[in-house]
Amino acid sequence: MDFITFLQLVISGLAMGAIYALVALGFVLIYNAVGIVNFAQGEFIMIPAFFGITALVTWHLPVPIAYSLVLAAMAVFGLVFELIAYYPLRNRPFLPVVISTIGASILLKNLAQNIWGAIPLRFPGLFETGTLNLGGLRIGLQHLLILGVTVILLILQYLLFEKTLIGKKMQATAQDKQTARLMGIPTNKMIALTFIYSALLGGVAALLVAPILNVTKDMGGPIALKAFSSSIIGGFGSIPGAILGGLFVGVIEAIAGKYYSAYTDGVAFFVLIAVLLFRPQGIFGERIAEKA
Amino acid sequence: MKFILISLILAFAIAAPLIWTTDYWHHLMVLAAIYAIVALGLNFTLGLTGQLSLAQAAFWGIGAYTSALLTVRHELSFWIGLPAAAAVSALFGILLGFPSFKLSGHYLAMTTIGFGIIVRLVLQNETDLTGGADGIAGIPAPTLLGFDIDDNRKFYYFALGFLILLSIVALKIQHSRAGRAFQAIRENEMAASATGVNINRYKLIAFMFSALYAGIAGSLYAHSAGYISPDTFSFDQSVIFLVMLVLGGSGSVYGTLIGAILITFLPEWLRFLKSYYMAVYGAGVLLMMIFLPTGIWGLLEMIQERIIGRPGEVLPPLERPGEPRKAELSVGAKK
Repeated sequence: MDFITFLQLVISGLAMGAIYALVALGFVLIYNAVGIVNFAQGEFIMIPAFFGITALVTWHLPVPIAYSLVLAAMAVFGLVFELIAYYPLRNRPFLPVVISTIGASILLKNLAQNIWGAIPLRFPGLFETGTLNLGGLRIGLQHLLILGVTVILLILQYLLFEKTLIGKKMQATAQDKQTARLMGIPTNKMIALTFIYSALLGGVAALLVAPILNVTKDMGGPIALKAFSSSIIGGFGSIPGAILGGLFVGVIEAIAGKYYSAYTDGVAFFVLIAVLLFRPQGIFGERIAEKA
Repeated sequence: MKFILISLILAFAIAAPLIWTTDYWHHLMVLAAIYAIVALGLNFTLGLTGQLSLAQAAFWGIGAYTSALLTVRHELSFWIGLPAAAAVSALFGILLGFPSFKLSGHYLAMTTIGFGIIVRLVLQNETDLTGGADGIAGIPAPTLLGFDIDDNRKFYYFALGFLILLSIVALKIQHSRAGRAFQAIRENEMAASATGVNINRYKLIAFMFSALYAGIAGSLYAHSAGYISPDTFSFDQSVIFLVMLVLGGSGSVYGTLIGAILITFLPEWLRFLKSYYMAVYGAGVLLMMIFLPTGIWGLLEMIQERIIGRPGEVLPPLERPGEPRKAELSVGAKK
């Protein structure tokens, strides 16, 4: 494989990896806040993708309005999801909550199929299939957009968590709910905000990735499972770990997919099992025993 | 009392094909018996030992493919295919048991999901070995003492025999030394270890039994359907097995049977929902976790406790696997 091909694979891998990273962040933030893994995280991508199709294709709205509407709808969605699938079970152990999110996932997927139909839909992208040609190196414009937006979003998120009061309250809630409550932080509101933010991350990921995928009710599942693997590979519970793990899985998948295309969807799990067996704390993480 | 109840249920199970006489209903009954065996297997890992495994459909698939390949490609008898399916599947079960030494909760769940997805990719892509996406057709019907078990009604009784046998075995195991070790691990790994339970060994045994049951059910499925393809053995199917267990009552053999039977027949009773069936099913799972976390069997036992005043084989609550209960740590052994 020549260097140009390699570079192209790395860039497209990084773009897909950025999507995994956004979804993995959504997982990790919810996990840190309430200690459960949300098995409906994939639906946090599938639902906004369908919302986008309704806004752009059915209603013919201009792109900025359509995108804003999708994100606003996702904020509401995140809140409703929290109220139905998590809040009533907030004092229960891990398994019932996991199963309730699985139930929510089945419900959402099949509602979506009833509303938007079973035929895969195409999401109109900003650039269609345009590419940028840099001396033989061809980069998809959508891939560049994904990378650019992800970087901006991560900077904004850093500012939100480190520089604003509300971000600090969210962090405090994630670190120690009881102490945070004693400090006068409305922890239930902060948890709801975390779900809303996680849904917004899914919304952004969907707007970025839907144009290069088919939009179906099952589109979210594989992305979410790979994102979940990425977050474990990076070190579960760690925000930099989720981002780096996502990018890592994206690149490995792109390169391995070149040689073993049939097993592309398995790459993330091969890496995951190898990492769990030899370095269970993940590449950047602390020891699992302390968090499991 | 218990004896009368069990005899009544058995009589009903035997009479059922004479009450619902169409071939389609017989087909559903075969499926219910097979699903129940798979769910009984899952009860060893998740229900008794508290290890969240989402690879049950993969074990089921390994069993189905082993049996199908041996009988179709090598023209061996079903009676070689079935034990081979159980053995191969159990071997993979032991293999998947090893990660459970170090991992618990979400990490173990994700590893088992990964295993399931890889198994399905292998079934789909290793065309020379598995027939690829086309699957395997022409799987022969089993013969028993010279009789061909070649229609759904005969196969139902055949599978029911296996189900009854395997249920008895499951009950025996649950109330044996191993069964108590499983439950000790689920309740509190550290305490179990302190009382001399070899945790790793019993985790492997639980995974082995879980895969063994799934392997037997896989073989039965392959020979009753006559045709198998990778799509059947998906992650979604593993989730359905999980729902069966939790709906019926995780940790109890009777509960597991109830769950498996209900989930198999529910689509028939809810026909009027048409395309909304799956959405309602999802909502039902969600609502059940909110209002009925111990499953139907747990509810029945609670009612029995109220009426008789004597606690039954009380269904333990679903706890976070591998983590001691916080309440017990601080308050002592108050339950």
